[in-house]
Amino acid sequence: MFRFLPYILKNLHGHRVRTLMTIGGTAVLMLLFSFVSSIQEGLRKLTDPSERDDRLIVFQAYRFCPSVSLLPYPSYDDAIQKVEGVRDVLPIKVVVNNCRASLDTVVFHGVPPDRLARVRKLQLLQGRLDAFVQRKDGGALVGRKLAERRGIQVGKPFSIAGITVQVEGIFASDQPAEESLVYTHLNFLLNPQPGHHQDLHVTMYEVHVSDPARADAIAKVVDQRIRDKFTVHTETRPQKAYFRQAISDLVEIIGFTRWLGIVCVGVVGVLVANSVIMAAQDRVKEHAVLQTIGYSGARIFGLMLSESLLVSVLGGVLGIGGCLLWLWWKPMTLGNEGVSIDFLASPALAAWGLGLSTLVGVAAGLVPGWQAARADIVSSLR
Amino acid sequence: MALVEIENLSKLYKKGSQDVRVLEDLDLVVEPGEFVALMGPSGSGKTTLLNLIAGIDRPTTGGLVVGGQDLSRLSRSQLAAWRAGHVGYIFQLYHLIPVLTAYENVEMPLLLLPLSRSERRKRVQIALEAVNLVDRFDHYPRQLSGGQEQRVAIARAIVGDPVLIVADEPTGDLDAATAEQTLILLKRLNEEMGKTLVMVTHDPRAAAVAKRIVHLEKGRLVSAPSTPGLPLTRVVAE
Repeated sequence: MFRFLPYILKNLHGHRVRTLMTIGGTAVLMLLFSFVSSIQEGLRKLTDPSERDDRLIVFQAYRFCPSVSLLPYPSYDDAIQKVEGVRDVLPIKVVVNNCRASLDTVVFHGVPPDRLARVRKLQLLQGRLDAFVQRKDGGALVGRKLAERRGIQVGKPFSIAGITVQVEGIFASDQPAEESLVYTHLNFLLNPQPGHHQDLHVTMYEVHVSDPARADAIAKVVDQRIRDKFTVHTETRPQKAYFRQAISDLVEIIGFTRWLGIVCVGVVGVLVANSVIMAAQDRVKEHAVLQTIGYSGARIFGLMLSESLLVSVLGGVLGIGGCLLWLWWKPMTLGNEGVSIDFLASPALAAWGLGLSTLVGVAAGLVPGWQAARADIVSSLR
Repeated sequence: MALVEIENLSKLYKKGSQDVRVLEDLDLVVEPGEFVALMGPSGSGKTTLLNLIAGIDRPTTGGLVVGGQDLSRLSRSQLAAWRAGHVGYIFQLYHLIPVLTAYENVEMPLLLLPLSRSERRKRVQIALEAVNLVDRFDHYPRQLSGGQEQRVAIARAIVGDPVLIVADEPTGDLDAATAEQTLILLKRLNEEMGKTLVMVTHDPRAAAVAKRIVHLEKGRLVSAPSTPGLPLTRVVAE
């Protein structure tokens, strides 16, 4: 089929306005499809229940927004640490610049720096961890994606939501959602007054359990222990379940966007099919001439199908490539109630999109290709 | 052995609910190396007969053997393969592919054959030299005159070295001078290259180039000669 490629390309070039419009339309639709798929991929990664979860989140019972979950510290910290099966506890004070759904949510996690180093596998890309630990007046480690999105640099201050931190490092993480966080000192966000001996309040406790299979049982024990000892009750869940609950409204909307993606693919099919049908109708005589000089119906079918495939795949490559480039250049995160969903454009997503483009190209070329192949030579020549 | 053997051939077309008989009980034999002109008034069935001989249409009844092959027994795809190897077709309106250069147009039939790029190039060069168009390799049809386009079409018809060349009013769209050059070229193909030609024409001057004239009327061969002095076909009159 490669020896016919110049003929196929020249035909596409010969009708370049139509070809460019079809490729352009396909690219835009596949770009939209890729964005929709990337947010679904981000959601799946964040909430996939099949992944083993060794983390529990202790949140104030009947509270949903981070700003209203107030759990005493350090009394709850001590109580949780004593529960059997708990390996480590990370108290977290969450401060967000926007509690509602937003594409540019900045989330601060105030944590004890020594414990952060213990429970997180952060890969420091720039800066120094010891500088962060020593800087108690607002030292911060910033996630790679947030740094790229906001143009944050090490050694410079960064202000948002009334908080100013000094960036001491930029990190990457195996958990994509973490790369949109800012870690700073817990005491810096709690801002305790000198001589203040009462409990301060954190937003939640992240509990690491020794045996993930016992996570649910440990969660019940934690809640019971708090209920027995304190007046402010808690609700403890595996981290992914907590994420699912925190972003439940978004889950519904993101679920709906799946249909948008399917519509995009359908419209690509119609667009390419329309273009190929027009090409076939324009070239009725040409196909009859080709058949007269010996081209079989199957060959004509193959030529039309190749044309359809080329347009569809080219549009797909541009659209999917555009999405990958966009998210590489400016990572996007959809945040709600302090939980961030990353737009994840993985190689798997690119392969899936290209596979779909190929399928659509074949499907779109079937009918016009068949019509061109079966056309009667003599009537077509007339 | 005859190159084209037609026996009791009939062709009917459906026009709505009516059957239109275009050719009726026709017999014709074309020997190798002949140059036959098919003449007759509009609607007499000349082009239909030519299309049948070229294997792009099928007879309703009767026998049609070309180059020893009974065309009525071939499937659609087999017929296409047969055309690729045995027939060169010259159209009245040239029918070159507008997005391809003269070279690429002539190369199109060769893409179906198991030839290397260099072999194809060699054959295309020979064909374009035969029609005296070596200096127009890279020209697109829109950059060529009518006569040049027809010469490219003739090169396309001969590039596969077919045993039979059919031409449907090859000079019908050309001015007198260009038509004459085209006819001379066709005559050379017949006399110098030994190609068998069957040509449909309205024009007695074009028919005069042929070695034999076949006259059709209402789908039947008739005896009236169109050009005095030329041999008539074997007539089948009922």
